[in-house]
Amino acid sequence: MIYFKQPINSALSLIVTLLSIAGLFALLGGSFLFLVQIIIYAGAVVTLFLFIIMFLNIKEESLPHEPYKARWILLMSLLISPFTLFLISAVNNIKFASLHLKDFGSIKAVGMELYTNWVLPFEMISILLLIALVGVVILAKRETNRD
Amino acid sequence: MIDVGHFFILGILLFSIGIVGMISRRNIFVMYMSVELMLNAINLILVALSHHYEDLNAQVMAIMIIAIAAAEASIFLALFVMLFKNARSLDANFFTLLKQEKHHDEL
Repeated sequence: MIYFKQPINSALSLIVTLLSIAGLFALLGGSFLFLVQIIIYAGAVVTLFLFIIMFLNIKEESLPHEPYKARWILLMSLLISPFTLFLISAVNNIKFASLHLKDFGSIKAVGMELYTNWVLPFEMISILLLIALVGVVILAKRETNRD
Repeated sequence: MIDVGHFFILGILLFSIGIVGMISRRNIFVMYMSVELMLNAINLILVALSHHYEDLNAQVMAIMIIAIAAAEASIFLALFVMLFKNARSLDANFFTLLKQEKHHDEL
Protein backbone atom coordinates (compact mmCIF):
# COMPACT_ATOMS: atom_id res chain seq x y z
CA MET A 1 0.00 0.00 0.00
CA ILE A 2 2.78 2.44 0.81
CA TYR A 3 4.84 1.62 -2.27
CA PHE A 4 2.49 2.54 -5.15
CA LYS A 5 3.26 5.66 -7.15
CA GLN A 6 -0.34 6.40 -8.09
CA PRO A 7 -2.51 7.30 -5.07
CA ILE A 8 -5.51 5.49 -6.54
CA ASN A 9 -3.69 2.13 -6.33
CA SER A 10 -2.88 2.89 -2.70
CA ALA A 11 -6.52 3.72 -2.00
CA LEU A 12 -7.77 0.47 -3.58
CA SER A 13 -5.31 -1.60 -1.57
CA LEU A 14 -6.33 0.36 1.53
CA ILE A 15 -9.92 -0.79 0.89
CA VAL A 16 -8.69 -4.41 0.73
CA THR A 17 -6.82 -3.93 4.02
CA LEU A 18 -9.84 -2.39 5.72
CA LEU A 19 -12.12 -5.22 4.59
CA SER A 20 -9.64 -7.78 5.94
CA ILE A 21 -9.55 -5.95 9.26
CA ALA A 22 -13.37 -6.01 9.25
CA GLY A 23 -13.20 -9.80 8.91
CA LEU A 24 -10.82 -9.95 11.86
CA PHE A 25 -13.29 -7.85 13.89
CA ALA A 26 -15.99 -10.41 13.11
CA LEU A 27 -13.62 -13.19 14.18
CA LEU A 28 -13.01 -11.40 17.49
CA GLY A 29 -16.70 -11.08 18.24
CA GLY A 30 -17.28 -7.45 17.31
CA SER A 31 -20.26 -7.83 15.02
CA PHE A 32 -21.28 -4.17 15.31
CA LEU A 33 -17.74 -3.01 14.61
CA PHE A 34 -17.63 -5.35 11.62
CA LEU A 35 -20.68 -3.59 10.13
CA VAL A 36 -19.38 -0.11 11.05
CA GLN A 37 -15.99 -0.84 9.53
CA ILE A 38 -17.49 -1.97 6.23
CA ILE A 39 -20.16 0.74 6.01
CA ILE A 40 -18.29 3.78 7.33
CA TYR A 41 -14.63 3.08 6.60
CA ALA A 42 -14.68 1.10 3.37
CA GLY A 43 -18.01 2.49 2.24
CA ALA A 44 -17.79 6.17 3.13
CA VAL A 45 -14.29 7.35 4.02
CA VAL A 46 -12.24 5.55 1.38
CA THR A 47 -14.94 6.02 -1.24
CA LEU A 48 -14.85 9.76 -0.54
CA PHE A 49 -11.11 9.50 -0.85
CA LEU A 50 -11.34 7.76 -4.23
CA PHE A 51 -13.87 10.36 -5.34
CA ILE A 52 -11.51 13.22 -4.45
CA ILE A 53 -8.57 11.50 -6.17
CA MET A 54 -10.58 11.07 -9.36
CA PHE A 55 -12.06 14.58 -9.03
CA LEU A 56 -8.64 16.25 -8.83
CA ASN A 57 -7.57 14.59 -12.11
CA ILE A 58 -3.99 14.11 -11.00
CA LYS A 59 -1.48 14.19 -13.84
CA GLU A 60 1.92 12.59 -13.86
CA GLU A 61 3.77 15.89 -13.35
CA SER A 62 1.90 16.81 -10.18
CA LEU A 63 2.96 13.62 -8.43
CA PRO A 64 6.13 14.03 -6.37
CA HIS A 65 9.33 12.80 -7.96
CA GLU A 66 10.68 10.13 -5.64
CA PRO A 67 13.69 8.40 -7.20
CA TYR A 68 14.95 6.89 -3.92
CA LYS A 69 11.57 5.67 -2.67
CA ALA A 70 12.56 1.99 -2.26
CA ARG A 71 15.76 2.97 -0.47
CA TRP A 72 13.88 5.30 1.89
CA ILE A 73 11.31 2.63 2.71
CA LEU A 74 14.03 0.04 3.34
CA LEU A 75 16.00 2.42 5.57
CA MET A 76 12.94 3.43 7.57
CA SER A 77 11.91 -0.22 7.97
CA LEU A 78 15.36 -0.96 9.37
CA LEU A 79 15.01 2.00 11.73
CA ILE A 80 11.52 1.04 12.92
CA SER A 81 12.13 -2.73 13.15
CA PRO A 82 13.82 -2.74 16.63
CA PHE A 83 10.79 -0.96 18.04
CA THR A 84 8.46 -3.47 16.36
CA LEU A 85 10.46 -6.50 17.48
CA PHE A 86 10.57 -5.15 21.04
CA LEU A 87 6.79 -4.77 21.09
CA ILE A 88 6.26 -8.24 19.57
CA SER A 89 8.57 -9.87 22.12
CA ALA A 90 6.77 -7.98 24.91
CA VAL A 91 3.43 -9.31 23.63
CA ASN A 92 4.80 -12.85 23.29
CA ASN A 93 5.52 -12.98 27.02
CA ILE A 94 1.86 -12.52 27.88
CA LYS A 95 -0.24 -15.66 28.12
CA PHE A 96 -3.41 -15.15 26.07
CA ALA A 97 -6.46 -17.34 25.99
CA SER A 98 -7.34 -18.95 22.67
CA LEU A 99 -10.27 -17.68 20.66
CA HIS A 100 -13.63 -18.64 22.07
CA LEU A 101 -16.56 -18.24 19.74
CA LYS A 102 -19.49 -17.54 21.96
CA ASP A 103 -22.18 -14.90 22.09
CA PHE A 104 -20.15 -11.81 22.87
CA GLY A 105 -20.23 -8.30 21.52
CA SER A 106 -23.74 -8.37 20.13
CA ILE A 107 -25.24 -5.14 18.82
CA LYS A 108 -27.59 -4.86 21.80
CA ALA A 109 -24.76 -5.17 24.32
CA VAL A 110 -22.63 -2.59 22.52
CA GLY A 111 -25.61 -0.23 22.33
CA MET A 112 -26.34 -0.60 26.03
CA GLU A 113 -22.71 0.12 26.84
CA LEU A 114 -22.65 3.11 24.46
CA TYR A 115 -25.80 4.73 25.85
CA THR A 116 -25.18 4.11 29.56
CA ASN A 117 -21.50 4.54 30.37
CA TRP A 118 -20.38 6.41 27.26
CA VAL A 119 -23.14 9.00 26.81
CA LEU A 120 -20.94 12.06 27.41
CA PRO A 121 -18.18 11.04 24.94
CA PHE A 122 -20.92 10.14 22.45
CA GLU A 123 -22.38 13.65 22.62
CA MET A 124 -18.91 15.18 22.43
CA ILE A 125 -18.32 13.15 19.24
CA SER A 126 -21.47 14.65 17.77
CA ILE A 127 -20.22 18.17 18.60
CA LEU A 128 -16.87 17.28 17.03
CA LEU A 129 -18.59 16.13 13.85
CA LEU A 130 -20.55 19.41 13.76
CA ILE A 131 -17.31 21.41 14.15
CA ALA A 132 -15.70 19.38 11.35
CA LEU A 133 -18.71 20.07 9.13
CA VAL A 134 -18.52 23.83 9.75
CA GLY A 135 -14.76 23.84 9.21
CA VAL A 136 -15.03 22.01 5.90
CA VAL A 137 -17.74 24.39 4.69
CA ILE A 138 -15.63 27.42 5.63
CA LEU A 139 -12.57 25.98 3.83
CA ALA A 140 -14.54 25.24 0.67
CA LYS A 141 -16.23 28.66 0.74
CA ARG A 142 -12.95 30.56 1.05
CA GLU A 143 -11.67 28.63 -1.96
CA THR A 144 -14.63 29.66 -4.13
CA ASN A 145 -14.29 33.31 -3.06
CA ARG A 146 -10.69 33.38 -4.23
CA ASP A 147 -11.56 32.11 -7.70
CA MET B 1 -3.79 -22.49 17.26
CA ILE B 2 -4.56 -18.82 16.83
CA ASP B 3 -4.93 -16.83 20.03
CA VAL B 4 -5.42 -13.17 20.85
CA GLY B 5 -1.67 -12.53 20.83
CA HIS B 6 -1.51 -13.04 17.08
CA PHE B 7 -3.99 -10.20 16.61
CA PHE B 8 -1.71 -8.02 18.75
CA ILE B 9 1.26 -8.92 16.56
CA LEU B 10 -0.70 -8.11 13.39
CA GLY B 11 -1.77 -4.78 14.89
CA ILE B 12 1.83 -3.90 15.79
CA LEU B 13 3.01 -4.81 12.27
CA LEU B 14 0.28 -2.68 10.67
CA PHE B 15 1.18 0.24 12.92
CA SER B 16 4.85 -0.05 11.94
CA ILE B 17 3.95 -0.15 8.24
CA GLY B 18 1.92 3.01 8.81
CA ILE B 19 4.87 4.75 10.49
CA VAL B 20 7.21 3.73 7.65
CA GLY B 21 4.78 5.01 5.03
CA MET B 22 4.26 8.25 6.92
CA ILE B 23 7.99 8.97 7.17
CA SER B 24 9.35 7.76 3.85
CA ARG B 25 6.76 8.93 1.30
CA ARG B 26 6.24 12.48 0.03
CA ASN B 27 2.84 12.05 -1.61
CA ILE B 28 0.34 13.66 0.79
CA PHE B 29 -2.39 11.17 -0.15
CA VAL B 30 -0.20 8.21 0.76
CA MET B 31 0.84 9.93 3.99
CA TYR B 32 -2.78 10.39 4.97
CA MET B 33 -3.59 6.75 4.12
CA SER B 34 -0.73 5.68 6.39
CA VAL B 35 -2.39 7.61 9.23
CA GLU B 36 -5.64 5.73 8.50
CA LEU B 37 -3.71 2.45 8.61
CA MET B 38 -2.27 3.33 12.03
CA LEU B 39 -5.76 4.17 13.35
CA ASN B 40 -7.01 0.80 12.10
CA ALA B 41 -4.12 -1.02 13.78
CA ILE B 42 -5.07 0.63 17.07
CA ASN B 43 -8.70 -0.39 16.50
CA LEU B 44 -7.63 -3.99 15.93
CA ILE B 45 -5.62 -4.01 19.16
CA LEU B 46 -8.54 -2.48 21.06
CA VAL B 47 -10.97 -5.13 19.79
CA ALA B 48 -8.48 -7.89 20.64
CA LEU B 49 -8.22 -6.46 24.17
CA SER B 50 -12.00 -6.40 24.39
CA HIS B 51 -12.08 -10.07 23.41
CA HIS B 52 -9.36 -10.92 25.92
CA TYR B 53 -11.04 -9.27 28.90
CA GLU B 54 -14.60 -9.93 27.68
CA ASP B 55 -15.35 -6.26 28.27
CA LEU B 56 -17.20 -4.08 25.77
CA ASN B 57 -15.63 -0.73 26.75
CA ALA B 58 -12.79 -1.20 24.26
CA GLN B 59 -15.24 -1.81 21.41
CA VAL B 60 -17.03 1.45 22.24
CA MET B 61 -13.64 3.18 22.20
CA ALA B 62 -13.02 1.73 18.73
CA ILE B 63 -16.36 3.15 17.57
CA MET B 64 -15.30 6.58 18.89
CA ILE B 65 -12.01 6.29 16.99
CA ILE B 66 -13.90 5.47 13.79
CA ALA B 67 -16.12 8.55 14.26
CA ILE B 68 -13.09 10.78 14.86
CA ALA B 69 -11.39 9.32 11.78
CA ALA B 70 -14.45 10.14 9.68
CA ALA B 71 -14.39 13.77 10.88
CA GLU B 72 -10.65 13.91 10.27
CA ALA B 73 -11.04 12.49 6.75
CA SER B 74 -13.45 15.25 5.70
CA ILE B 75 -11.14 18.02 6.93
CA PHE B 76 -8.08 16.39 5.37
CA LEU B 77 -9.81 16.07 2.01
CA ALA B 78 -10.96 19.71 2.05
CA LEU B 79 -7.38 20.76 2.82
CA PHE B 80 -6.04 18.56 0.03
CA VAL B 81 -8.43 20.08 -2.49
CA MET B 82 -7.34 23.58 -1.42
CA LEU B 83 -3.64 22.71 -1.54
CA PHE B 84 -3.98 21.10 -4.95
CA LYS B 85 -5.90 24.07 -6.34
CA ASN B 86 -3.23 26.47 -5.07
CA ALA B 87 -0.04 24.56 -5.86
CA ARG B 88 -1.04 22.01 -8.55
CA SER B 89 1.14 19.46 -6.78
CA LEU B 90 0.84 16.60 -4.30
CA ASP B 91 4.42 16.89 -3.10
CA ALA B 92 4.75 17.42 0.64
CA ASN B 93 8.08 19.21 0.11
CA PHE B 94 6.20 21.91 -1.81
CA PHE B 95 4.16 23.07 1.18
CA THR B 96 6.77 24.93 3.20
CA LEU B 97 4.83 28.07 4.07
CA LEU B 98 5.78 27.85 7.74
CA LYS B 99 9.48 27.32 7.08
CA GLN B 100 11.77 30.01 8.38
CA GLU B 101 13.30 32.24 5.74
CA LYS B 102 17.06 32.33 5.29
CA HIS B 103 17.41 36.13 5.38
CA HIS B 104 16.16 38.31 8.23
CA ASP B 105 16.09 41.75 6.64
CA GLU B 106 13.00 42.95 8.41
CA LEU B 107 14.10 41.83 11.86
